[in-house]
Amino acid sequence: MNAPTKGLRPAPEATVVTGAAGWLGTALMHALTAPASRWHREGTIRALVTNRVEADRLRGLGTQVEPVIGDLTQPHTLDPLVAGLTGTVDVLHTAGVIHPPNMATFESVNVGGTSAVLDLAVRAGARRFVHVSSNSPFGTNAHPGDRFRNDEPYHPYLGYGRSKMRAELVVLDAVQRGLDAVIVRPPWFYGPHQPPRQSTFFSMVRTGRFPVIGRGDQARSMVYVDNLVHGLLLAELVPTPAGRGWWIADARPYTVAEIVDTVGRALRDEGFQVTPNRVRVPGVVSRLAELADSTIQRLGRYHQQVHVLGEMDKNIACDISVARDELGYEPEIELYEGMRRSVRWCIEQGMEL
Amino acid sequence: MIGLRAPAPHHDCEVLVIGSGAGGAVTAAVLAEAGFDVLVVEEGPWVEQGSVVPFSLEQMDRQYRAGGVTVALGRPSIAYTEGRCAGGGTEINSGLYRRPSEETLDRWRRQTSIVDFADDEFFGICDEIEVALSVQTVPGSHTPASERLRNGAAALGWQHDEIPRWMTYPAGGDAVTGRRESMTRTFLPRAFAAGASLLVEHRVDRLVRDRGRAIRAELTGPDGGPVTIDFGTAVVCGGAVQTPALLQRSGWRGLVGRGFAVHPTVKLAARFDDTVNVADDVPVHQVKEFSPDLSFGGSASHPGLVALALSEHWPAMRDAVTAWREMAVYYAAITSEGRGRVTALPGMRDPLVTYRLTARDKALLGQGLARLALVMLEAGAQAVFPSFREAPIVRSRADLAELTGRFRASTASVMTVHLCSTVPMGEDRGRAAADSVGLLHGADNVYVNDASLLPDAPGVNPQASVMAIATRNARRLAGALR
Repeated sequence: MNAPTKGLRPAPEATVVTGAAGWLGTALMHALTAPASRWHREGTIRALVTNRVEADRLRGLGTQVEPVIGDLTQPHTLDPLVAGLTGTVDVLHTAGVIHPPNMATFESVNVGGTSAVLDLAVRAGARRFVHVSSNSPFGTNAHPGDRFRNDEPYHPYLGYGRSKMRAELVVLDAVQRGLDAVIVRPPWFYGPHQPPRQSTFFSMVRTGRFPVIGRGDQARSMVYVDNLVHGLLLAELVPTPAGRGWWIADARPYTVAEIVDTVGRALRDEGFQVTPNRVRVPGVVSRLAELADSTIQRLGRYHQQVHVLGEMDKNIACDISVARDELGYEPEIELYEGMRRSVRWCIEQGMEL
Repeated sequence: MIGLRAPAPHHDCEVLVIGSGAGGAVTAAVLAEAGFDVLVVEEGPWVEQGSVVPFSLEQMDRQYRAGGVTVALGRPSIAYTEGRCAGGGTEINSGLYRRPSEETLDRWRRQTSIVDFADDEFFGICDEIEVALSVQTVPGSHTPASERLRNGAAALGWQHDEIPRWMTYPAGGDAVTGRRESMTRTFLPRAFAAGASLLVEHRVDRLVRDRGRAIRAELTGPDGGPVTIDFGTAVVCGGAVQTPALLQRSGWRGLVGRGFAVHPTVKLAARFDDTVNVADDVPVHQVKEFSPDLSFGGSASHPGLVALALSEHWPAMRDAVTAWREMAVYYAAITSEGRGRVTALPGMRDPLVTYRLTARDKALLGQGLARLALVMLEAGAQAVFPSFREAPIVRSRADLAELTGRFRASTASVMTVHLCSTVPMGEDRGRAAADSVGLLHGADNVYVNDASLLPDAPGVNPQASVMAIATRNARRLAGALR
């Protein structure tokens, strides 16, 4: 990516990062602290984590990092995130839950947690609040050729989508009350620091067992995690009207068949033996899984595999042109290179693929 | 000059044109001007342009088939309208005119193997038609309802444009000063001037055949009595529903009546803070951001039609109806992958019409309606009333989630005004029911020359396509008959 040249505000004197030990959060923390990073910043970084192990891990990134152990569902535990801060403060809210133990967690973390962090930002007089949303408040495209435009009607997909939509509405309410908040909307992301469920994805592709639905011509936008970090930080530092939201994704959507094929190639080029993918699932299986997922969710429970299978025959594709125009966002990494980096990272971590 | 022919038990002519709409009027003018003895028959009455209020219930009663209420059965059923008067649909529609794209022409050529169907000739004919019908954009200011649609699209950064219409305006005139053109003002008088005549209120029951050759038409006259017409050549231009029904009643089946294509449409009513409604005119702006899959535009918003659009909200909406001046009706139209069928039933006056939407079509209708509602919110609507059963009233972006969550195509009021493709033209006999100039496969002297010939729905208002193809085919026919 070309370094942003114009129109960026200086980094704030203090940055609050929630979800700092998560997948996106870790990538973000690395970008903010690595000495060679173009996004390196000097000021204090208050990083919300859930436990001591995460706190110790982040502390190792640099002296400016001040981990805070807290719980989004217990607002008073968040107070230390802003206590005693002076000067400009930006809040980067990446925390959220996508595959929860139960449905109530969607509401308490994604909606209640966002509300609590917004309150904190108002109290700290934040310069800008960046909320990380999702494609899920917008559902799916009616056909593979459709692209979500920057502004779309809400059409939340099941429990996660509803909670992320309600979180956006809470953010927009805060904008009405005077907070300078903006929203970034990443689709399915990939890249280093991935949680174990993504390694399962690699294993399935490697062993030829990834369930491609029908011809695999469903359109899917994805975003390499560092592309997302760039988009998120541009959203923080480019002055725009409050209340704006942008899709942050790779340059173009891929088809599911292309994704499986590319991951296979990336694995092969990293020295893995890859079995050609043979699992072609009729569309009806995915529709049944979607039905099962919605039934399970109505009972207040959540089942990750069923959820993912139910989503596999959907088109979820977005158009990033407004982020390009308004933020100067230009995705640098595309699928093959991103997947190779991701596989390499897994190898370095000693993960079994 | 109106060349009405007096009723008689029997008539003779060289060329019989059945139907006087966009296909039939053009056919009659071209053939009469080429020197042929042309008789046009029309099931409906002659109604002078301007003698009936446009888009009114009186107009629906006098100039539409079955008072404007006809339905293609399916889940959901799709309501459609057909003109039934001299000039056909051109007398009663919005006069919106759009050329098909080059991609569409190319698709048609390949789909059914149409030969000698060059873009240059086609668009050259469009040039002529546009002059004849005075096709143009509004020189002055637009109606408020049209401006709202444009503003909403602009606020979202969505592509939009103005559809030209066949209208004449005083110099610099505003939308409301326009005077509509139509077949009774243009191509029918041209046909009359060249010697053609028109028999109104005559319904053709069937064509009598001698093997592949049609020799006589049997009709029902205005008093219900039998009438016969002997002819050399018949050109059937009854529209995409009546044309195949007549051919089937005359014993031509095969592909005739299959492949029925429409642009399914869902609607909403939007209420604004101030007056937007001009009852006897329609918005001319269209949102093309998602074209050709999805198009949004404004519908006729006569008070009766506003009430119809609000019927799903009746208990809650009684006061909104009295506020019709602050309301306008808008549509979201899709290009459909589904297909339907027209089937003449023995002993029944009207054919059975069915249509089946695909899963993608249904999803697209929902996505389209929600996006249209978003345009309306951005345009400043204080409330949006989507037209489906149990629809929420939309006042905010959060309410859009209710709309998308509750929408089911099966509960929506789906309608269409663009009917086509029941006798597709082309050389491929596995897909086309008529040849590349409209001669019915398996017939010697029966041509089709109306919207039935389009291989599929063009994704834009089809009348330009219908008239250009009708002109082309009528010229070919004049050459062949000479």
